[in-house]
Amino acid sequence: MQNLHRQTLIGIVAIIAGLFLMLVAIPNWVSSPSNVRNIILSPVFWPYTLAALTILTGIGLTVTGHFSSEDLTPAPAEVSGGYGRLLIMAVVMVIYMFGLPRLGMVWTSMLAFVATAFLVRTSHPKTALICAVCVPLVLYVFFAHIASVAIPQGNFVRLP
Amino acid sequence: MSFVDSILAGLSLVGNFEAFLALFAGVAIGTIAGAIPGMSATMAVALTLPFTFSMQPIIAILLLLGVYKGGIFGGSIPAILIKTPGTPASSATVLDGYPLAEKGQAGKALGMALWASCTADLISNLALILFAGWLASFALNFGPPEFFTLILFSLTIIAGVSGASLLRGALSAMLGLLLATVGLDLVYGTNRFTFGDPSMMGGLNFIAVLIGLFAIPEVLAMVWDPKPHKGQTRSLGDNKVTFGEYKRCFKSIVRGSFIGVFLGSIPGIGAAPSAFLSYSEARRKSPNRDNFGKGELEGVAASEAGNNGVAGATLIPLLALGVPGDVITAIIIGAFMVHGLQPGPMMFILNVDIIYGLFIGLIVSSVFLLFIGSVAIRGFKYVADIPRGVLFPGVLVLCVYGVFAVNNNIFDVGVMFVMGWVGFLMMRNDIPAAPFLIAFILGPLLEDNFRQAMLMSGSSPAILFRGPITWFFWGLTVLTVIAIIRAGIRATRTLKRRA
Repeated sequence: MQNLHRQTLIGIVAIIAGLFLMLVAIPNWVSSPSNVRNIILSPVFWPYTLAALTILTGIGLTVTGHFSSEDLTPAPAEVSGGYGRLLIMAVVMVIYMFGLPRLGMVWTSMLAFVATAFLVRTSHPKTALICAVCVPLVLYVFFAHIASVAIPQGNFVRLP
Repeated sequence: MSFVDSILAGLSLVGNFEAFLALFAGVAIGTIAGAIPGMSATMAVALTLPFTFSMQPIIAILLLLGVYKGGIFGGSIPAILIKTPGTPASSATVLDGYPLAEKGQAGKALGMALWASCTADLISNLALILFAGWLASFALNFGPPEFFTLILFSLTIIAGVSGASLLRGALSAMLGLLLATVGLDLVYGTNRFTFGDPSMMGGLNFIAVLIGLFAIPEVLAMVWDPKPHKGQTRSLGDNKVTFGEYKRCFKSIVRGSFIGVFLGSIPGIGAAPSAFLSYSEARRKSPNRDNFGKGELEGVAASEAGNNGVAGATLIPLLALGVPGDVITAIIIGAFMVHGLQPGPMMFILNVDIIYGLFIGLIVSSVFLLFIGSVAIRGFKYVADIPRGVLFPGVLVLCVYGVFAVNNNIFDVGVMFVMGWVGFLMMRNDIPAAPFLIAFILGPLLEDNFRQAMLMSGSSPAILFRGPITWFFWGLTVLTVIAIIRAGIRATRTLKRRA
């Protein structure tokens, strides 16, 4: 029964997303010149068509979900601490992104490596620590000196 | 330009050390990545892509094709040795490969997998060379309405067969099409979902979306449920496959290769169904059918031939029509675009040297695969020992460097992270990511061709039915939808009967 609800839930989310697009997102965030004579050629035509098709797909999912007995991937509520780790990972990603211009890509990557290794409960902490230092440095050498990419250096320690 | 002139032009482009080195390195990287449990050929190609930006187009694409070929074979190594397919395409190899390993004949199974892979790869490449040019010359007659119906058909079949459910595949494709509308309008140049941000005016970066969808969800899945890979690595034993055994399985290998070529040339079907079909056909026709599933060498040969037969054939629609046959070719189409090339029929006229250079490279890649594969089989235990707790943080860092390198833009890193969460949610809800990515690539082409057709006809939809080619693709689209719906109904009935 729980599986049926999940398919139905996906359908309901799709319907809400389609309605949001039709009623809010497209009218406000898609601009169309006023002199377009035919709606088919307007910049809003394609987004409206896709939003309508999303709603139709959502209805299909809701209806079939109600009658389907298909086994979807079960919700693994038994994975202890899963949501907590995901939340920490989300924070790590935000810090990673905002740390790039300030700390520099190499140093931020080292910290992110260590944090992720800790989150995935690495059984090789020493190897992880060595890799956390080496991998960002090797990638820096490749991208900065071979591919000529301007890797962010940050405001504190600059690399050659 | 004659056929010989085209081959010579291709040879002048790839007949150098750098090209062969790139191909060799690509096959090696792919084989290693495919053999690492938790990595896949798709991830390997996606993560290699940023390293190719500074290369010449032909070198870059050869490297990626090498990774693709190596990745498909590499997946069979853990399938046989630890009962964990490295790629979904290797799932059928487990059926007989692992029982052989349990009997102490892992070396024999891997040897046969390698020979079958190389043979199928060669047949698939020859099919590509034979059919791509022919299909491209036919596609030169296509105008916007024909391309619109072709892309619509491709999207239908990709959405329908990429996952367990047509509707979830369709939803995934819708999301991809919607995301592709972000940026400036193709005709009027007005803003669509850009929120006034200049970073979004060119649309969302393809590589950020791609890596976000296919690499980051794996990292998040590992964070969600951290567990080391299970399965005990079997020793190779001192058994090697003999020429007599290869000869005995040759019929199944050739049959599997042709199944792979046929299914691979249809967009969206991919290597896994081909491997299973080849396996079941081999079992049906084999005098040893009772031994299948208990450690039959012919089973390994058939499934490997089935999945490797797809590799060259998926490039037929890619090169001839500009339509990716699967996720990996969708990434490769992105690589073409990054390097300023647009695959499709015109490429056979404008860049014939690159096309034939690729053909030559692909043939050579089969030979490289044979050498690298035989070394990889022996070195697998070192690859299997890479701890996942070190691998996945490394993948995260690699993703950030790679995505940043595309445009030197931190915004793209943010897009990748957001797409990673979207991909993770899709993964957890059994919504396939492949239709999303392929729709994201094909979306602008679909809209562009549709609007061009409407401009040509003064907004009359009759132009979309203007000739036999458009009717042919409409017919195929309708047939595909009917077939997928029927298959869905049948599957639901079977499930209900079992319940």
